[in-house]
Amino acid sequence: MASRVPGRTPNAVFGRVGSRLVLELLGLTRRFGEVLALDDVSFSVPEGEIVGFVGPNGAGKTTAMRIALGVLEPDAGEVRWRGARVDAATRRRFGYLPEERGLYPKMRVRDQLVYLARLHGLDAEDARRHSERTIQLLGLGDRAGSRVETLSLGNQQRVQLAAALVHHPEVLVLDEPFSGLDPVGVDVLSGVLREQAAAGVPVVFSSHQLELVERLCESVVLIHRGRVVAAGRISELREADPRRLVRVEVAGGDPRWSEDLTGVRVVERRPEAVLLELLPGTSTERVLDAARAAGEIRAFEVVRPSLPEIFRRAVGA
Amino acid sequence: MSEVRLIARREFVERVRDRTFLISTAITITVLVGVVGGGALLAREPSFDLGVVGEGPLAARVREEAASGGVRLDVRRYASTAGAEAAVRSGEVDAVVEDGTMVVRSEPPAELLDLVRRATEQLHAEDVLARAGLDPARIEEALRPPPLRVRALEPRDPRERERAAVAFVGILALYGQLFAYGYWVAAGVVEEKASRVVEVLLATVRPSQLLRGKMLGIGLLGLFQLALIAGAGFAAAWLTGALRFPSGALAVIGLVLGWFLLGYAFYAGLFAVAGSIVPRQEDLQATMTPLSILIIGAFFVGIQANQDPGGTLALVASLFPPTAPLVMPSRLVLGEAALWQGLLSVGLTLGATAALVPVATAVYARAVLQPGRVRLRAALRRG
Repeated sequence: MASRVPGRTPNAVFGRVGSRLVLELLGLTRRFGEVLALDDVSFSVPEGEIVGFVGPNGAGKTTAMRIALGVLEPDAGEVRWRGARVDAATRRRFGYLPEERGLYPKMRVRDQLVYLARLHGLDAEDARRHSERTIQLLGLGDRAGSRVETLSLGNQQRVQLAAALVHHPEVLVLDEPFSGLDPVGVDVLSGVLREQAAAGVPVVFSSHQLELVERLCESVVLIHRGRVVAAGRISELREADPRRLVRVEVAGGDPRWSEDLTGVRVVERRPEAVLLELLPGTSTERVLDAARAAGEIRAFEVVRPSLPEIFRRAVGA
Repeated sequence: MSEVRLIARREFVERVRDRTFLISTAITITVLVGVVGGGALLAREPSFDLGVVGEGPLAARVREEAASGGVRLDVRRYASTAGAEAAVRSGEVDAVVEDGTMVVRSEPPAELLDLVRRATEQLHAEDVLARAGLDPARIEEALRPPPLRVRALEPRDPRERERAAVAFVGILALYGQLFAYGYWVAAGVVEEKASRVVEVLLATVRPSQLLRGKMLGIGLLGLFQLALIAGAGFAAAWLTGALRFPSGALAVIGLVLGWFLLGYAFYAGLFAVAGSIVPRQEDLQATMTPLSILIIGAFFVGIQANQDPGGTLALVASLFPPTAPLVMPSRLVLGEAALWQGLLSVGLTLGATAALVPVATAVYARAVLQPGRVRLRAALRRG
């Protein structure tokens, strides 16, 4: 269900019906010298939802996340948490995974987590307990007493994630959490994020891996050159896309059968199948007829645009 | 617990557990105790073993001479020349005297030679005078003149001499400590910047808190180590009897600890800036050079002031905040600085620190999150 913040367009704000918008980025603008890194960026994250923050390199994802965490000051705009402007005390309850990972190389894993938990405001007892639980959750039990620099990169990544989770944050802001993870790591992390969301913790993460975002998130924010170009629930973005797409799989015949077809645009051609956009005036039947003429039809389905296609269209590519 | 205290505690605990810290502290203490203890042993009154062959007045006379000269001497008698020579050879005695001849293994110890020579000369003179018919009282009068008295126009207080010696060690320790712990601040800042952990930390605490906690933790560790070393040095000097005026040494130690805090507070912010503008440890040397030159300069002025605490250079340098920590302590110890000068110097150093730390914090906060090398002028300007 789309909602709007007065005076803020076209940067959408969204959420489930009845769900509360807990983290709001409002009108964030930030310049680095001549470069306008963020241009009036607004979006919000509802309680208990995983939101994907998607855009090419240099689009402004990291800048927006750093501003949300108070690491960077915006030139204009503000960040709100449950309706109130975020201050230092609120930020201590945030969990953050920065794009450039960082831990004390010479500090032991457990000591490091306890220390960070305490900086986040936990008392000594809670910090120890939470650290132990997070270590178990991420399967670091046998390395808890090791110095971080002696760990493999994959394990260092896990410790980094543990650092974002150890204080039981009220919101998670994760910058490219999946980069550098092997498929097993991706599954572990996906599971952790789903658990967090199910417990009511809103999660925002940035990623290049759009298929992953599609699988994990109900909502996305698409950012390009410092501006939000589309935002909302993925299903709604699909509905809102007026394009009619068909995926056709033909066996046996000439694989280039669709090249001569008029009234369609080839979106994607793969060895086994082709994805076509039907231009106005082209009927599904005409494409079906052409496919039948070319060979044996293995599959013919009308599909909704995927996230990469929505994104390409939003940035006009 | 507040963030600053948590950060300070981490700095203290992680470093105090570090093997390099433990080893360097142990080495410093060992060297200091060795120097103090060794010096005390060398300064002890000399002692000799002397052998005498046959009966005669020489043994008694040498003993007398030794007693009046503050030399410990043990005299043994030997019945035969061969036995005496064997004793010299075996090292049982340092020398043997027989019939106006001193037998040694290779070379006679100068002091012992002197003693024996004086004794034999006296015996010889007594003998000659007695044969000339002089009565024993006149002989005594001729050979035992009244001792020469010395009157100094500008006597040096022995307390002051000892204090200057202790102050020298104190300045040396202060210099090393300011350098080492300033470097640790810079290296600690680079460690956080290079490892990018600073981003995680600054998502939780403000840059000013992070810097204050770091400076506090490292500074307390420096104070702790300095107190440990000073305590060990004092104990060694006290136990070996090298200190004749322990209260003066304690005053120096107190001043050194106090001025370490003042000097460290002044320099720590600058070292943090030096660390925040470089990307890696290897680049630290270059940005620390101006600070190194300042501290080395202050050290040399401090050594000079310890010898000439009343000079103009010493006066000016003891009030100038960058040099005051290494110059003012000896001027105070040696009684050259009036109380008001000491207080003024403390006030100026504190004032300069109070003015410097906010600027340093602002530069640090801007530079530490920027990757790579940051130009100091750019980091200053954007304030």
